[in-house]
Amino acid sequence: MTIEARQRQKGLRAGLLLLAVFAVLCLPLAVSAAQDCRFCHDEPLYRVDFNKSIHAGNGCTSCHVGITDVEKHRDGKEKPAPVDCGSCHQEIAKEYRNNFHYIQEDFRCSDCHRNIHAIRQDKSKNVKLAIIEKCTECHGNADYTTSGHGEAVLKGNQDAATCSDCHGLHNTRVFHTSLEQYPAEAREFYTQKCKRCHADSAMMKRNNLSDKMVAYYEGTYHGKVQELGYPAPVAGCGDCHTKHNILPKEDPRSSIHPDNLEANCGRCHAGFHSRFLSYQAHPDYTDRAKYPALYVTFLFMGALLIGTLAFFWVHTILWWRKVYWEHDRMEREGLVPPSVLATGEGLQQVERFSVKYRIMHVLLVISFFTLVLTGFPLKYAGAEWAATITRLWGGAHMAGLFHRGAAFLLIVGMAYVSLESLRFLFPRGEGKKGWLSRLLGPDSLFPNLKDLQDFKGMIRWFFNKGEPPKFDRWTYWEKFDFLAVFWGMFAIGGSGILLWKPEWSSYLVPGWVMNIAALVHSEEALLAALFIFTIHFFNTHFIPNKFPMDRLIFTGTYRLEELKEQRPLEYERLVAEGRLETMKREHPSIPLKLISATFGLGSLLLGMFLTVLIVWSLLVS
Amino acid sequence: MTLMSRKNLIGLIVPAALILITALAACSKPQEPAPPWKVIDASTLRAMMASDKELAVFNTMSELECRDHRIPGTRCLACEDVENNPSILPPDKGRDIVFYCESAGCYRSCRAAGAAVKAGYRQVYVLQGGMPAWKQSGYTMESIERIPRGSIQSIRAPALKQMLAERKDLLLVDVRSEYLYKEGHIEGAVNIPMHRLSSSYAEIPLDRTLVLVDDRGFRTFLAGSYLEMKGYRVMRLFGGMQDWQAMQAAK
Repeated sequence: MTIEARQRQKGLRAGLLLLAVFAVLCLPLAVSAAQDCRFCHDEPLYRVDFNKSIHAGNGCTSCHVGITDVEKHRDGKEKPAPVDCGSCHQEIAKEYRNNFHYIQEDFRCSDCHRNIHAIRQDKSKNVKLAIIEKCTECHGNADYTTSGHGEAVLKGNQDAATCSDCHGLHNTRVFHTSLEQYPAEAREFYTQKCKRCHADSAMMKRNNLSDKMVAYYEGTYHGKVQELGYPAPVAGCGDCHTKHNILPKEDPRSSIHPDNLEANCGRCHAGFHSRFLSYQAHPDYTDRAKYPALYVTFLFMGALLIGTLAFFWVHTILWWRKVYWEHDRMEREGLVPPSVLATGEGLQQVERFSVKYRIMHVLLVISFFTLVLTGFPLKYAGAEWAATITRLWGGAHMAGLFHRGAAFLLIVGMAYVSLESLRFLFPRGEGKKGWLSRLLGPDSLFPNLKDLQDFKGMIRWFFNKGEPPKFDRWTYWEKFDFLAVFWGMFAIGGSGILLWKPEWSSYLVPGWVMNIAALVHSEEALLAALFIFTIHFFNTHFIPNKFPMDRLIFTGTYRLEELKEQRPLEYERLVAEGRLETMKREHPSIPLKLISATFGLGSLLLGMFLTVLIVWSLLVS
Repeated sequence: MTLMSRKNLIGLIVPAALILITALAACSKPQEPAPPWKVIDASTLRAMMASDKELAVFNTMSELECRDHRIPGTRCLACEDVENNPSILPPDKGRDIVFYCESAGCYRSCRAAGAAVKAGYRQVYVLQGGMPAWKQSGYTMESIERIPRGSIQSIRAPALKQMLAERKDLLLVDVRSEYLYKEGHIEGAVNIPMHRLSSSYAEIPLDRTLVLVDDRGFRTFLAGSYLEMKGYRVMRLFGGMQDWQAMQAAK
């Protein structure tokens, strides 16, 4: 026996041994799984390609289960069960359960993954391109493939959106957008998809695009209503940029090309002048070169907000300091203000506000809170509380209705006050005679020289440099409160009316004025709310001698002693003119006092609560 | 939101709500009368089928669609056939019978159920949400004779309109019911309702490229795959007549 032959024999024995071990361990599985199947199913696909495929490690029966007897199967008496890819690909199977292709057309895995037996892992494969190729087998969407994202993918851009980036791959949703089914869900869904990439700074930078567009959009009415969770009535990204033909505005095929804008906006808005089209769908307030008017408005409103609040907050803090220290001193010395100790005639109630003005104030409060509670959720649409409050109103649409209703109430009230003011200046029978002296007189709410002196006097008093000034009927801060409403009505009311029906407004002003109107409306609202909830509330609730509330505006009367103490000049005038007798009233009834306290304190608590929400949102944003 | 502020909010809403209440009352829709059949959800149907192996559950799609995929253990009975001849339903009118179809709106199953109720069946059910609801619940389907899915190009209404003007080799095949076809169809379209397609497809000439048209674009894909399997060149109208009519109306 040659060495070679001996080795061969040894090798044979070893081989046989190995074979025996293999047979014992694996044969029942491997042979029946692969060898037996391929004995009949002997196409190259199963013999060659499958062995190179990613599933080569799995035997035939790991997918084609249910064959118990090869002979029965060979005779056609036993068929394998349908392949369940989900037994391994569980996550995908779960996603796929909601896939439109499955739900509506009963697509199975292999209907898209047709070469399932030869499928290989190919790291160099352009997946985005492959997806386009697969989808366009049926969906020959020329809109997409010849423009925008599709064109970029075909040119090799790996950031541009392929079909699945927007529609999902295994979880293609049941949005049949062409049928306008589920329009709200589809709009919300696809807008989120756009935002995901277009807010990605790194990706946008790579592609020379702005990453701020999403934030700017979210700052507009469209974006805010959408963010609040009510996408149905407002434009999402795709409503203006279309779904597939997404191109820069310089391209004549683009929906946002100037020539196409009228039709584009016209899909939702009707009956507008062509000036409407200059509205900016996502402007940058801080871009001085591109949006000069918006930039100036932004600066002005910011300065007005900060300036007004800073001025009055300082005023308030100084005031509070003085009163609190004074209160403390009197407490230590056992002193009590004369109005508290009033006896006899001092207890007599005198009228300050007639029933008419008290009702008007209550209506103003209701209207103001309605406006704040319906407007601020939109201003801070991203906040958790915004969605909660809007839900309480019954949705964004209802909130909008209430907002407009309250605005109408306020406008009517304001018109009435303007009429009253004119009547005050030009009373019946007197005509123009003496209007200037009435305007600057003590009963007028118009500022005069005395207010300046009073202001100086207050400052001196704050710093312990003198007695507080003697006021007449109206203090300078009351006059400010009154006139601020006029300015507020001009700013908020004017912008609000423009925004009420922007299509009609376009016959008056161009679309870009709507951007300014929106900015003014929003910022002036913030100023008004913070002014009322901090400064006005301080004046009427938190000043130590009025805490927890001054019910005067609701009951309309106060003690004669209080009149003497707070408005000595008015008291002197009333006595001199002999009018004091006509001002005397009954003590307010218990029900009126109870209602006043409830309404006043309720307003205070609600206002404080809203202040916390607003400040929270300001800090977060 | 705290209870306190909610109370306040409600207190403020109430007066304002009074103003709007009349307007709202005018907007609310009147209630539709309840249908004469019972509506059941997918899990209820599954439980009913498990407890009663003989339960008569009917797929009201065309035979072609039903044989392609259906809820396991159910029978194929196109709603047109039930309407035309309710006597094909099981004879015992006191037994439970269930109808389902392929769309969430259940239009076809409701029509079949209506016919069954009219024929005197007392325990008629309709699967709420149809097969989509069944599938979304994660329950399996069965195939008797699966149609290989083809690459059926879908074309949108404006493209089809242009194509019809340019090409002479197209044949529009409207697979909707005869009734809907008579109500209005694309000029030149022939009508082969879906439920007759498997028996009548041979009438369609082989030398034309077919453009399949249905109601909403949901059914032409399978019909197209079927016809492609039979040797036809097929395209389909995306969005069906609904899209076509929307395009016509927009002009």
